[in-house]
Amino acid sequence: MVDRPLISVVDDDESVRESLPDLLKEFGFSAQAFSSAEEFLASDYVGKTSCLILDVAMPGFTGPDLQRELRVRQQKIPIVFITAHRDANTRHRLIENGAVDCLFKPFSDCDLLTALNTALRVI
Amino acid sequence: MESELRYVVDALPEMGWTALPDGHIDFLNRRWLEYTGLRLEYASGQGWQRAIHPEDLPQLLQVWQSAIESGEPREAEARLRRHDGKFRWFLLRASPITDASGSVVRWWGMNWDIEDRKRAERLLGESEQLFKALFDEAGTGITLVDLCRGEPIRNNRALQMMLGCSEEELSHFATFDQLTYEPNRESDAELFRQLCVGTRDNLRMEKHFIVKDGSSVWANVIFTLVRDAEKRPRYVIAIHQDITDRKHALEKLQAQTELLDLAQKAARAMAFDWHIQEKINTWSPEQEELYGLAPGTFDGTYESWKKLVYPNDWPAVVNSLKHAQQTGDISVEFRVVWPDGSVHWLAANGQMFFDDEGKPLRMVGFTADVTSRKLVEEELRRKAALLAQAQHVTSTGSFSWRPTTTNEITWSAELHRIFDLDRSTPITPERIRTRVHPDDLKLFDRTIEQARSTGNDFECEYRLLMPDDSIKYVHVVAQATRDQDGQLEFVAAVQDVTERRLSEAALDKARSELTHVSRVMSLGALTASIAHEVNQPLSGIITNASTGMRMLDADPPNVDGARETTRRTIRDAHRAADVITRLRALFGKKETTTELLDLNEATREVIALSTNELQRSGVILRPELSDSLPLVTGDRVQLQQVILNLVRNAADAMSHVTERPRRLVIRTERAEADAVRLSVRDVGVGLDPETLDKLFQPFFTTKENGMGMGLSVSRSIIERHNGSLRAAANDGPGATFSFSIPQASEDVTKTPNPNAGNLTDKSYAERNA
Repeated sequence: MVDRPLISVVDDDESVRESLPDLLKEFGFSAQAFSSAEEFLASDYVGKTSCLILDVAMPGFTGPDLQRELRVRQQKIPIVFITAHRDANTRHRLIENGAVDCLFKPFSDCDLLTALNTALRVI
Repeated sequence: MESELRYVVDALPEMGWTALPDGHIDFLNRRWLEYTGLRLEYASGQGWQRAIHPEDLPQLLQVWQSAIESGEPREAEARLRRHDGKFRWFLLRASPITDASGSVVRWWGMNWDIEDRKRAERLLGESEQLFKALFDEAGTGITLVDLCRGEPIRNNRALQMMLGCSEEELSHFATFDQLTYEPNRESDAELFRQLCVGTRDNLRMEKHFIVKDGSSVWANVIFTLVRDAEKRPRYVIAIHQDITDRKHALEKLQAQTELLDLAQKAARAMAFDWHIQEKINTWSPEQEELYGLAPGTFDGTYESWKKLVYPNDWPAVVNSLKHAQQTGDISVEFRVVWPDGSVHWLAANGQMFFDDEGKPLRMVGFTADVTSRKLVEEELRRKAALLAQAQHVTSTGSFSWRPTTTNEITWSAELHRIFDLDRSTPITPERIRTRVHPDDLKLFDRTIEQARSTGNDFECEYRLLMPDDSIKYVHVVAQATRDQDGQLEFVAAVQDVTERRLSEAALDKARSELTHVSRVMSLGALTASIAHEVNQPLSGIITNASTGMRMLDADPPNVDGARETTRRTIRDAHRAADVITRLRALFGKKETTTELLDLNEATREVIALSTNELQRSGVILRPELSDSLPLVTGDRVQLQQVILNLVRNAADAMSHVTERPRRLVIRTERAEADAVRLSVRDVGVGLDPETLDKLFQPFFTTKENGMGMGLSVSRSIIERHNGSLRAAANDGPGATFSFSIPQASEDVTKTPNPNAGNLTDKSYAERNA
């Protein structure tokens, strides 16, 4: 079980933090949920994370802020953004800045799996 | 002895004779006989008397008789006729020869020819007479001073008259001294002394006499010294020429010259007479000064003059010279550049004379420095230009009007432009009236009438109907003043405020559009927020459901996990329901503002708002708005939201249409049962009979990106206005969506609605009335 890729989820919405890790485990990944970017950065999982599922709009430290911070720290973790705001411009900008994908909530399990597979191939 | 005497007498070189004591001539010598041509026997006795001039004979005989009687020698002068008949003067002397007792024994005599002396005497007499005549009758006053006697010895009538003195009075130097103008007495006397002592031979002085009546007499006096044979001063002749009149004339001329000089300097206008071709500087120093030249430095040539004139002004000078060739009059203003670089304006006015070849020969006239006038003119011109420019820029004209006198209006160029009235005929209120919009004539007439009668300031705004049927709005502000004669005069500014009025109308429109847009935008933001709120639980639901499915599909199925995910799914579904409930509450609280409104106007605003978007989408929009649409009451923005929604739906429905024009028609019309209907018709994809029922349900959409809320919300808005929203498929391609709402009730429409006051011609006139 140790060799399962770790997918970290950062979202301020509790229902996402509850539901997503279970789905990810069903996909066969390890999963770890964090309620904020700060919590994630402070954890021991940054270096171990193979892919980050990151909410765009969070109070305080936002998803794009964390993306920037990781780039500064030379942490090349593939990021799949998720957002409840259906905004094509934001999606386009995030992907331009290096994100693997940006999924609009609610997204289907297939879309998520496709994105994660893409992300893990990136490494 | 007798023969001896005869012998002696005969030998005399002069004529001689002898006579007996009783006077009987007994001998005449040869010279006598030769002169007279008489023979002795004929001339002796009394015969000699024939040789004597008859006029002289009586006196001669008388003297001869007296000699005989007295025995004394006698002399007499008489003319003797020569042998050729000519008379000559002789001095005749008779001398007695006496004996020892003293008795006369004989007479002898000699005749000397004194003709030459006599002639000299005669000539002298004539000369003396001439001198006397000249002296006495001369027009100039003459005094002769005898230096031996030390007094004037003679003076003539002219001098007596000149100085108003008698001959006697003028025979004393004291008189002359008294008459001499007192301040000059000493110096005049000193000059005269120099003459008297012989230091100088001539003296000329202007003497100023004050005569007895107190008036001044001026004389130009020429003193001439006459010396005697030893060159000693003997006489002084003083000739007095009366120059009093000339002196007065001179003084007068001097005064006139000074006056002219003063006038020229005061006017800075110098008279000149310039003989152009003679190359002689006939310019006065003042004339040269006008050109900035030092006195006497102008060489008088045409070429030099040309060099003095500012080159840019030379053509004007040449033109005026050409003109002068026709008329002789020259009048030109030009600049000259002084050596110090300063520029001066000169005006030359005068007469020009030309030679046969048409070259300037002589110019007579005045030159004046008009720099200050020119500067003022220039300043005035610049200000006028500035004013005109400012008037043009601000579309403001100005005029002055004297209603009580000429009634004529003096107005600026900009006003001509604004009113487009011919400049050649005088502007009167009547002419302006022809431009006034018929609906504003009453207002115009009343304003003019009040201005005339009250003489008060006035301000008004009215419209002009231009020849090309365009309408202009003008704003007039007039101030009443009194002119120099105390007559009423209005000075006014007229501004073309058409642009402002139109932009105000546009601004009103833009403002309402802005309100609208901001409300639409807040609706957009609200929509996004709703989406976010709903998407969060939806996301959880889907994830949980997906996980549950996978858990149950697993081998062996993870039932506990599936139960947990299902529980979460239910919980998230409740959360979503809660969001909807909150939104309901939010919508429910929304207040609607009700106003009386013109649906046409509201529609036009929507059209204006969507024009760009529709153009981008290639949609051709045609409004068919009813002219007689009753007003409705309602929420303007909400109704516009509905119209906008229908228009956007229609445009979206035609987004894939390429085989026909994307035509969109918005129509307003009266509907049945006192209602107003608005319909939006497109030629798009049309309506599927299946979907027709679901159209107005929330979240139903046929669009890829649609939310399915538009028609649902629209219907609720229309229903809140007690109206209905319907959709129908067209006979041809596309669909028509329409709503109808009741028209406003009678009593409501009677109340004027300030918000409905767009700038219509009618309301405009009312506002100014």
